[in-house]
Amino acid sequence: MAEPLHIQEQDDLAIAMVMARKGVDAATLGARLGFSPPTTPHLVDGPSGVRLIGVGPGAWLALAHDPPAGWAAFLADALAGVAAVSDQSSAYVVLRLSGPGAQDLMQSGVSIDLHPDSFPPGAAAITAIAHIGVTLWKLDDAPTFEVAVFRSFAAAFRAWIAAASAHA
Amino acid sequence: MNRLATGGLVERDKPLRFSFDGRAMTGLTGDTLASALVANGVALVGRSFKYHRPRGLLTAGPEEPNGLVTLGQGAAAEPNTRATVVPLCEGLTATSQNRWPNLRLDVLAVNQLAAPLLGAGFYYKTFMWPSKAWEKLYEPAIRRAAGLGALSGQPDPDAYDRGHAFCDLLVIGGGPCGLAAALAGARAGLRVILADGDLRLGGGLLSERRRVDGLAGADWAEQAVAELAGLKAKVLTRTTVFGVYDGSEYGALEELTSGGARQRLWKIVARRCVLASGAIERPLVFTGNDRPGVMMAGAVQTYLNRFAAVAGRRVTVATSTDSGWSVALDLLAAGVEVAAVVEARAAAPSAAAQAARAAGVQVLTSAHVTKARGAQLSGVEVAQAGGAVQRVACDVLAMSGGWSPAIGLGANLGARPAWSDAIQGFLIQSPPPGLAAAGAAAGRFDLAEALRDGDQAGRAAIEGLGLRAPDTPAPSAEPQDSAVASPWRTPQKAAKAFIDFQHDVTVADVDLATREGFVSVEHLKRYTTLGMATDQGKTSQLNGHAALAAATGKAIAEVGTILSRPPWLPVAIGAFAGHHRGRHFRPERRTASHDWAAAQGARFVDAGQWKRAQWFARPGESDWLTTVNREVTATRAGVGVCDVSTLGKIEVFGPDAGALLDRLYINTFSTLAVGKVRYGVMLREDGFVLDDGSVTRFGEDHFYVTTTTLNAAKVMQHIDFARQVLWPELDVQACSATEQWATYAVAGPNARALIQRVSLDIDLANAAFPPQAAAKVRWLGAPGRLVRMSFSGELAYEISVPARLGEAFVRALFEAGQGLGVTPYGTEALGVMRIEKGHPAGAELNGRTTAHDLGLGKMMSTKKDFIGRVMAGRPGLTDPDRPRLVGLKALAPNDRLRAGSHLLTLGAEARTENDQGYVTSAAWSPMLGASIALALLRRGPERYGEHIRLHDPVRGPEVLAEACAPTFFDPAGERVRG
Amino acid sequence: MRIPCPFCGDRDASEFVYRGDAAPVRPQTDEGFFDYVYLRDNPAGPMREHWHHAQGCRNWLVVTRDTRDHTIHGVVLAREASR
Repeated sequence: MAEPLHIQEQDDLAIAMVMARKGVDAATLGARLGFSPPTTPHLVDGPSGVRLIGVGPGAWLALAHDPPAGWAAFLADALAGVAAVSDQSSAYVVLRLSGPGAQDLMQSGVSIDLHPDSFPPGAAAITAIAHIGVTLWKLDDAPTFEVAVFRSFAAAFRAWIAAASAHA
Repeated sequence: MNRLATGGLVERDKPLRFSFDGRAMTGLTGDTLASALVANGVALVGRSFKYHRPRGLLTAGPEEPNGLVTLGQGAAAEPNTRATVVPLCEGLTATSQNRWPNLRLDVLAVNQLAAPLLGAGFYYKTFMWPSKAWEKLYEPAIRRAAGLGALSGQPDPDAYDRGHAFCDLLVIGGGPCGLAAALAGARAGLRVILADGDLRLGGGLLSERRRVDGLAGADWAEQAVAELAGLKAKVLTRTTVFGVYDGSEYGALEELTSGGARQRLWKIVARRCVLASGAIERPLVFTGNDRPGVMMAGAVQTYLNRFAAVAGRRVTVATSTDSGWSVALDLLAAGVEVAAVVEARAAAPSAAAQAARAAGVQVLTSAHVTKARGAQLSGVEVAQAGGAVQRVACDVLAMSGGWSPAIGLGANLGARPAWSDAIQGFLIQSPPPGLAAAGAAAGRFDLAEALRDGDQAGRAAIEGLGLRAPDTPAPSAEPQDSAVASPWRTPQKAAKAFIDFQHDVTVADVDLATREGFVSVEHLKRYTTLGMATDQGKTSQLNGHAALAAATGKAIAEVGTILSRPPWLPVAIGAFAGHHRGRHFRPERRTASHDWAAAQGARFVDAGQWKRAQWFARPGESDWLTTVNREVTATRAGVGVCDVSTLGKIEVFGPDAGALLDRLYINTFSTLAVGKVRYGVMLREDGFVLDDGSVTRFGEDHFYVTTTTLNAAKVMQHIDFARQVLWPELDVQACSATEQWATYAVAGPNARALIQRVSLDIDLANAAFPPQAAAKVRWLGAPGRLVRMSFSGELAYEISVPARLGEAFVRALFEAGQGLGVTPYGTEALGVMRIEKGHPAGAELNGRTTAHDLGLGKMMSTKKDFIGRVMAGRPGLTDPDRPRLVGLKALAPNDRLRAGSHLLTLGAEARTENDQGYVTSAAWSPMLGASIALALLRRGPERYGEHIRLHDPVRGPEVLAEACAPTFFDPAGERVRG
Repeated sequence: MRIPCPFCGDRDASEFVYRGDAAPVRPQTDEGFFDYVYLRDNPAGPMREHWHHAQGCRNWLVVTRDTRDHTIHGVVLAREASR
């Protein structure tokens, strides 16, 4: 790859799926959490190091770096009655890709427009790369992307990265 | 050498060595392979498809029908490459095709003598009978004789890349019109992509001696490209847009010269598109018009002006267009002798004719070339209005029969082009949304018009997107006449007058097809194969339609033209496959302990995308059956561990979760106690079984569902459909947890002892943790899930730990199990044990079985509604005569039962109407010491004890078996309670 | 083909799984199941269809698509579609 690209696995991330109960809106969840969850495919960082990414209507991925043990259960308790929480910390391998090469690599893989005007920092998407389901979000204009793939696909996804970045 | 001393866009100080048919030659940087061949005086480049007639280059562009060569050698050889689009590079090797033993002496040229037999529809007529001769005789002979280049037969060594792009404006074609459109768009701030198949942008400007905005055409193009780059437009050279798809998606293929991949397949989504693909010159049709030396006038001009390569020493120009005259004048200006200009129209353009006459060129009006003379062109016969025929000596005939706008892409989505009298060609009538043709592709052939039109198309795109176009002026050029006569009319009785050069279709073929009733353009195409070669009739389509019109006495407008489908140019399958070939054909899924299993000698088997351990061979075990028997025996005698992480796992939450599960399963889950697991069966709404699995209740509003490996995605989708579409009023949340947990089945008499050794911090005594118990546990501080359930019929548990810890956990299990005889087992042993227990699995859950068929009918609740309930009660699905699940046990100890065998009663003839059912799964049971099977047998449960014949005509002799209850081993189920 | 998902935005059709006509409604009684399961209209023109955004937000959608030229006139979440 002509452009610099750095890849780093984020192996200290705890991840949970948060699903609002029927009829419960984002504001109600926000009141419990202390910050408003996004209602579109974007990420919002909360005060306590919790990041919420909108992955569907009434559905979020919650992320936290190196949280205390039992974090997902704690989150479930905090949201009892307003949302269901499923610990998914092991379900994903999250890779951080940064540098100008990350833009080319990601765009060669996804069939959504990653131009900064269409996909600014904070934007997120659930889509597919090389037939592998991914959830990706953009942190900054470097650009830095984080890509979550299901753990069983991690080797196949790394093989795609190797192939795609060899050609560019 | 046929190279001019000056001029052209070639670099004379950068020569390149290449070879053609083993002959060493030299070209220049800037050449295509075709122009280098012209410059080297090579006139003969290939043999034709059917008749093996000698052929030379006809064109200088991507529409080339004749100049197909094989590039490179061995596995990397690329057959059927158009020499006209290959940039020359150092060391290039090209080989001619479809000839044996060599190009000049081709044995199969005798096919020409058999031409009357190889006419239109010969494929359908000649080889009808006897049918047996087809495979052995006709097809191999035809395949050898007819054809283009040969594939290497070896795996493609090249890599293919993939790209996605999004833009406001896609401009297809980098000629003057496309450049003007792209400039307008980019100056207004649009995100622009300009794609052109050529290495160098400029299109016709590189071929003609015209000026734009006071600059030489090629210089203006270079300046335009530089400006586009400065405006951040994406300029893709050597990139051919090959298809227009629904939703403003465009497919394009980029030829790569560096970076390791051969090509990149682009999927481009464009809000607006300007089709500036130019026009393709039409050949004239006369006897011998395929002789080497007969070329398109525009091609002669391109070789001359762009490549400084002269195709011959004495040229005749035959034209029905004004553009043909500019070719004659360019040749004269370069000092090439022009013998005559044969003008089909009554009046020649006066200024050009005057200049030609002044240079000593014979000008013939109302005149047609009727015959090309010489195997290698030595002259032409010209007929004038009065009927007088004269011969003109020449070694090149430059012909121009008018221009067809290159609108194929515009018709990709089904819009039929319409005839235009004004331009004597077909134009796009109702283009796909967002696409507009401009310039020559819209019938505006003159440069000045095309520039203006491109600029306007760019502005229309800007305004269509709600923006304001800037006030910059359109690029301009001196206007020139671009009149065209009506297309060629069929000469009477013209023999060997070719319409489709690549597929060897002649006027006589079109006439024959017409006489035989193939009078629609689509039928004509299929019957004669006109336009069906790799060039898709780019030079031949309109002449074919004109011939059909003449033969049927209709106007071309009435005859119409064919639809055009992608791809516009041939695209290698490898480009579509990209990364997805070999072991990356589809993404592979690995479980958490995959590497550990591999280290234990696992052989893996595909289960959907998953790799599952099939068995774990030990040193000295050469036979898989030995291995599987050992795994079964060790599990039933001690304890075995099987990775079942691939099972689908779904979390279902919410106050109405139980209510939803009751509607999804035939049995009831709302009454399941917290801390219990239960087997369940789901039907499709048509009453057949969809899937089976377990449901565990971990909380009042928290259930945990498992599915079979192969149906995981389908069941997740089914649950989402039920809660989002069927019953959105229910308060239920669901998500997949398949990837969160690594799950291991621990089975066998020592299972409890083993699990107690890995400190799950739970009392496993029968009283505390009986069959069907479930609990959340902790392992090394991490959350885990434990359920007591059995697929093998043994005392068994399924333990889930976070997938991150899967490998560590399995290592801990095996460390703890030393002394307990712990053995890993794979899917084969799993299969043997479930057949011994009569549990249905994939082969039985085949989409055609009901719960009743599988002996699970009693599970169907009558107290509630559930998906499939009503349709499962249909007479056809409750017919007692249906095949139902039974066990089969081989009568003779050495007989092997095979899955797929059909069942027959003793003495019945092996005929469909006597079919009693079939074997779904079979295995060698080490516990019984016999071959056993599960089968679907008519009225099966009523026939225990009956002897049945297993009929398997493909694989072996008939085998006798006894029908029995499907539970072969431990029918009382004592062991699971151990 | 591109399908504008109400949550995710404009997406490649390959992310979606097609189910079919969105018109049939599951009967409340035992009558009408044959029609519900098997009978389908095959209109030439706009048709309301169920699609699942399987490789996106996992929502079932009602897509109004013209069967003649694949023009998509509208997409809503199935759970919010008026039925």
